[in-house]
Amino acid sequence: MSFLHINNVHKRFGETHVLKGIDIAIEQGDFLVLVGPSGCGKSTLLNMIAGLDSISEGELLLDGRCINDVHPSRRDIAMVFQSYALYPSMTVAGNIGFGLEMRKVPRKQRREAIDRVAKLLQIENLLDRKPGQLSGGQRQRVAMGRALVRDPQLFLFDEPLSNLDAKLRVDMRTEIKQLHQRLGTTIVYVTHDQIEAMTLASRIAVMRGGELQQLGTPQAVYDDPNNLFVAGFMGSPSMNLVKARIVEQDGLPVAQVATEASTLTLPIVRDRDALRDWRDRDVILGLRPEAITDPASANHREGNIHEAELPVALVEPTGADLYVVTTLGGTHVNARMRPGTPLRPGERTRFAFDVSRMVVFDPESERRIRDERVAEATPIGETA
Amino acid sequence: MSNASPEQDGGARERLQRWLPKLVLSPSCVLVLFFVYGFIAWTSYISFSDSGMMPDYTWVGLHQWSRLWTSWTWGIALHNIWVFGLLYIISCIVLGLILAILLDQRIRAEGVLRTIYLYPMALSFIVTGTAWQWFLNPGLGLEKTMHDLGWQSFSFNWLIDSNMAIYTVVIAAVWQATGFVMAMFLAGLRGIDGEMIKAAQIDGAPAWKIYARIIIPQLRPVFLSAVVVLAHLAIKSFDLIVAMTGGGPGNATAVPATFMYSYAFSRNEMGIAAASAVFMLAVIAALIIPYLYSELREPRS
Repeated sequence: MSFLHINNVHKRFGETHVLKGIDIAIEQGDFLVLVGPSGCGKSTLLNMIAGLDSISEGELLLDGRCINDVHPSRRDIAMVFQSYALYPSMTVAGNIGFGLEMRKVPRKQRREAIDRVAKLLQIENLLDRKPGQLSGGQRQRVAMGRALVRDPQLFLFDEPLSNLDAKLRVDMRTEIKQLHQRLGTTIVYVTHDQIEAMTLASRIAVMRGGELQQLGTPQAVYDDPNNLFVAGFMGSPSMNLVKARIVEQDGLPVAQVATEASTLTLPIVRDRDALRDWRDRDVILGLRPEAITDPASANHREGNIHEAELPVALVEPTGADLYVVTTLGGTHVNARMRPGTPLRPGERTRFAFDVSRMVVFDPESERRIRDERVAEATPIGETA
Repeated sequence: MSNASPEQDGGARERLQRWLPKLVLSPSCVLVLFFVYGFIAWTSYISFSDSGMMPDYTWVGLHQWSRLWTSWTWGIALHNIWVFGLLYIISCIVLGLILAILLDQRIRAEGVLRTIYLYPMALSFIVTGTAWQWFLNPGLGLEKTMHDLGWQSFSFNWLIDSNMAIYTVVIAAVWQATGFVMAMFLAGLRGIDGEMIKAAQIDGAPAWKIYARIIIPQLRPVFLSAVVVLAHLAIKSFDLIVAMTGGGPGNATAVPATFMYSYAFSRNEMGIAAASAVFMLAVIAALIIPYLYSELREPRS
């Protein structure tokens, strides 16, 4: 029995079907990130876990107990809101202690709990201030303190970092991760930022249009996407998606991609069995920018490298990397190369494709074409 | 002049552009200066003069002021304005807040109800006063209706009872202004972050505690605005009382405004009337000026 079990949960607002049967199960100590574009239903799902929105259909189990109709205050959860939702008329200590006060915890114990949390979050010197006198980062800490002080079974975070500036966001992200590791709490975290999702999560649930697209570890979601949406949403710069055609060569399926002048043939290593059935049909290839590189940086030991000489359309240095753009199958393709590689637009250079990391999608259904097997993370939510 | 070599034509146009707003605004500015501030100054002077039926510019110092403060009727008027003002402000705020909280429960037909409660504010005080006078008149309104319906022992004669008449004025005034105060509170309630209420729910606060501890403390600016608006309405209240009770029975519902009117225009004591008018202005100014100062200063901080 998993710790938090979201079992075929639906949400309807009148005629609109906001959540169409979500199935997610996580274990104690997991850090689940619900990620997706705005309007995908991730915040609604979080509000339903919190008890702030009713469940139209399905079941919500926390530690084996059905909490569908349990009042938010009795679910043993705490929530950190996007706007922090601090009570402006109370001091920081009053804010942190309010939940305990409402639960009739004696003053002395309350004070001890507040001090413990304040020390943990390094806000001891702010306890007598009002929220209006705090900076964004400090408010964020107070909001987390308010959640931590009650020591609940489950923490819910609703886009907690989206109101912070870029630098502070990275710092707070690290801090949330450290807190999770230190306290071993179970967290459900909503964000639209896929980098936040990748860095924080132990499990990622990618959602779109009220449906779960994929649930898995960050690496599984990144390397082994279920469909074109997940492939394009996760990762920055995003995965290169290139039109190609599967043909048979020496009894094996290969992918043919149109370049500016000729045709590039890439051998198929992954999902070979499934792709046999796709002979002479159009598909979409997915290749991460780091799977296309210069021959010297290519991972010859683990990867399966296939080299080709292609023209350079554009060079984008970021300092850490050099992104080289070429054209494949009519679209721009990003390749990540070693910085300092002397390249100019218009030149030709050798690109090394790691075909062991190449994934293939059905252009019609947008689903991944993959071999039948038990994946390390069971893909669910792939409703038609 | 920043422009090094202004063309003759361009320079004239630029000058015109600079002066046009001032030219357009100046007539109204002059009118306000004369008719508002000029007459305030004139009234202030009259309060130190020997004026009776007609203005008389003989300076008599504080003579009119001391007559005002020894006047028995002025004492009643001040007492009445205290009773009226306090009851009016407190009732309007309490009822307005309760109505606003009830309307804020996402009920159906909220728009209709809001309009119904706001409508009294659209009436002039004269209409309100007259209507309530009819309604509370024992021979015409509520009491007679009850008698006609068969409840012979029913009695409600506050309007003609000199001890109770002031409360009928309070009832009418509260009826008129409560909807407005409700609208102010409703706007305040709508401005409160919904996530904060969700957070309080998760914290386990019952609804009344959410209101008492979190929402109502945040409405402090609305309370302040309501008090200031209602207080100056109370002090200015004149037409309502004239229409409802005419200051009577006897002097039972006299307030400073009716006092000023009767001394200026029927008792031919313009000096005392001017002194009372200046006093009312001072009280209102003491309320409004700090309020405006804090309101207008707020955006900068």
